[in-house]
Amino acid sequence: MQTISRLRRSGVGVAPDRTLRDVARLMSSSGIGTVAVLDGDDLVGIVTDRDLVRRGLARELPPDARVDGIMSSPVITIEADTDLHEAISTFGRHALRRLAVVDHGAFVGIISLDDLLVDVATDLRQLTAPMAAEITSPQQDSGLPVPG
Amino acid sequence: MKASVGDRLVVRGHRVGDPERDAEVVEVRGADGGPPYLVRWSDDGHESLMFPGSDAHIQHFDPASN
Repeated sequence: MQTISRLRRSGVGVAPDRTLRDVARLMSSSGIGTVAVLDGDDLVGIVTDRDLVRRGLARELPPDARVDGIMSSPVITIEADTDLHEAISTFGRHALRRLAVVDHGAFVGIISLDDLLVDVATDLRQLTAPMAAEITSPQQDSGLPVPG
Repeated sequence: MKASVGDRLVVRGHRVGDPERDAEVVEVRGADGGPPYLVRWSDDGHESLMFPGSDAHIQHFDPASN
């Protein structure tokens, strides 16, 4: 069974009272576009770079507004040892691009639909390579044996 | 993954052309050197709690080399 663990991206955690300015700077510093909002060890929300634009800038919230005012909550999570195919189903059910990965309930990172699709596409390419070779470079069968 | 205070955490870019990002581990919150880590990002000094994934690795700090 292949699990999502090798596809898990790094996650960044922030407290609910961090400001939108802090979170935007943090996304810029880390290169990570999805931030987990943690109250102690509890995952209470998720904020993406898109949320900052649509729920923050577009509504003219001040840069020092709290991040928990724009977070998505409750959070849809997926366990770190989830099978790849089950993960695809989960993305399909929730129409999300990124999911929070948890290990026994504790936040450990992010998985993106993009990474999952690229991985599945790579597997399919490897699986179909022999068939593609047969179609594009057909081998000539040897002739029938001649009766003696 | 295991780290100690002073180690460097490197996160690769997720798209072509994205630069690597790096941060110094300033506190280890997990057991036995495991994550999460409180890190300080090199480009602006901001601190955050980091949960490294497959896109990240640790460069261990060697005091003898300094």
